[in-house]
Amino acid sequence: MFNAKVKSEILKGIIDVTAPLVSEVKFNITSKGISLRAVDPAHVAMVDLEVEKKAFEEYKASEMELGIDMDKLGGIMRLSSSGDIVSLEYDETSNRLIVRIGNLVRKMALIDTAGMPDPKMPNLDLPAKVVLKASEINRGVRASEAVSDHLALVVDKDSFELFAEGDTDTVNLKLPKDLLVSLTVPSKCKSLFSIDYFSNMIKSVKGEDPISIQLGNDNPVKVEFDIADSKGHVKYLLAPRIESE
Amino acid sequence: MLKNTKLDSKKQKKLLSVPKEESTSLCGLCRGTKLLCGRSRCPVLVKFHSRDKVTPLIDKLSLSGSSPPSVFIGRFGYPKVSIGPMIPPVMGDTSLIDTPELWLDKSIDDIVDFRSMLIRGTYNVDVFDVENPNKIVGFTRELALSKNSVFAEAIFDKKPRGRIAFYDSAQPHGPSAPLKKFDITNPKYEQHIEKAFYDTDLKARYAVLDLYRDGVKISKIQRAFSVGAFGINKYRRFVPTRWSITAVDSMLGKELMEKTKTRPYINEFRIYYLNQFDNRWIVLMMPSEWQYELIEAWYPNTTWNPYGSSISMFNSYEFYKSRTTYAEIGGCYYAARLAVNELLNKERRQAGAIIMRESHPGYIMPIGVWNVRESVRRALKEPYRKFDTLHEALVHVSEKMDIPLQRWIKNSAIIKNQLYQKRLEDF
Repeated sequence: MFNAKVKSEILKGIIDVTAPLVSEVKFNITSKGISLRAVDPAHVAMVDLEVEKKAFEEYKASEMELGIDMDKLGGIMRLSSSGDIVSLEYDETSNRLIVRIGNLVRKMALIDTAGMPDPKMPNLDLPAKVVLKASEINRGVRASEAVSDHLALVVDKDSFELFAEGDTDTVNLKLPKDLLVSLTVPSKCKSLFSIDYFSNMIKSVKGEDPISIQLGNDNPVKVEFDIADSKGHVKYLLAPRIESE
Repeated sequence: MLKNTKLDSKKQKKLLSVPKEESTSLCGLCRGTKLLCGRSRCPVLVKFHSRDKVTPLIDKLSLSGSSPPSVFIGRFGYPKVSIGPMIPPVMGDTSLIDTPELWLDKSIDDIVDFRSMLIRGTYNVDVFDVENPNKIVGFTRELALSKNSVFAEAIFDKKPRGRIAFYDSAQPHGPSAPLKKFDITNPKYEQHIEKAFYDTDLKARYAVLDLYRDGVKISKIQRAFSVGAFGINKYRRFVPTRWSITAVDSMLGKELMEKTKTRPYINEFRIYYLNQFDNRWIVLMMPSEWQYELIEAWYPNTTWNPYGSSISMFNSYEFYKSRTTYAEIGGCYYAARLAVNELLNKERRQAGAIIMRESHPGYIMPIGVWNVRESVRRALKEPYRKFDTLHEALVHVSEKMDIPLQRWIKNSAIIKNQLYQKRLEDF
């Protein structure tokens, strides 16, 4: 059973962090909340998301799986405006998700979750951790997009640095310790990432909201932040580019 | 001293520019005998020869012949474009002239020869004016739906002029002239196309897909598409020939590609190879999610690099999520994408595909996008070489191609991605 009411912004937030990476996802529903973990088709990035029951206006559920086409859900949610309360109900007899926005009703066929994998979160040793404001890093990433398709993230004991090098131009964003929310660095760490993926991961976080970044040397990066008015949490993992053989 | 060096540098500049200036007039000195321009055959002569054969046949205002069938929709002045039939001054079954699917075994000279026989009649209409009561409009559309060659008679306003016209994506054709009158005898419609033509509720996209599934040749679909034969009635319009070619390639390719993305990966790295019209083609397939790239390398003195002194390379690519913008390198990107997906669909497999094209100096003139589609199709019919790793496959690429491997990698987004982008399983 799944029957919930939620603010349209919160549901849109869930779509925003998931849809750029995967189009079909399996939500795990429990009485405590909803969660999902999925890997993109190229196996380069992973999204892990949890939203507590508290984030919903109303929430009644027993343990189950919902296979949802995020493009479909995103399509119907585009017709909602902020402040709308969206009702979600699983209809067992027809195996459909009934989405109600005011008087608008969409009955959405679900995807069979039988073949969908449960990816494992790899065990990683990522020694450096930096927490910073979303607006700061978003600016750096947007500037990098113009010059290259990959960027380097570097953390050392007194700064965080983002660096992109194209054929002719370069972009550099250096944030000293006092502009960061927090910084934990045992030794200098540097890894290279695809800008396309990385920007998809951070662009849904706006303004002053903090983003946590965990980094190693030529290791994946772990990006974490809160969603759903801090009643939900997102973890991303992105595999690096390694240019030497 | 200073003065002298200044003078010297001026002199040098002049000296350097001399050969460039002369290169245009080289043809006058050479006239096809010495091949001073460095190409292996003289492009002027190829054109000249074919013109010679056709000129006596059409030195008058009327023309009767058997249209393959063939039509041409221009793109200049859109939405007011010139439409019209193409008719060769010969009788009988001329269908070969407008069926590029059958041309791979011909030489470039042959193709230019028979294409230049096509006399193009022109008539200006608005693209939306497909129901225009003028007979020229009606008969042009009927011609495009026909199954076999159709006897056609044309009377021109003035004598057909021009030699042979080349395009980047459309096939070349011969002289053209404005039409005064145009008549055709007993066209017999291709039955599948006729059905789609009369179905005015069927969207153009689905008409194209249905016809393709029914086994109708791409060139036939594209021809009917260009005269606005498909789609919901009020949206029907003439589509310039070169746009219609890419529209059909892109629609079909996209449909097949969506299926490809759901299939299991191939089991090995594969290399397909073909040398056609002095173009070397390599199709490299990888056991990965769908991703696709076409890289073209033009040697100096080939069609699209006539004045350069070094090889120029161009690429367009897409990752699993597909492109949202038109490919930089144009229609050939979509033609080759269709060919690759045809194979993958037949095998019910998914793969990442990189197509490398090395255009050598024997490829002297543009003959149309069909060349890309049919060459890749043919390459994929050849037996392929299997490899266990990308590195082994790339070594084989370097054995087949003249351009060094490093340069291919440097110009390829997909190879770089495959080599450098790690996956989560690697950790």
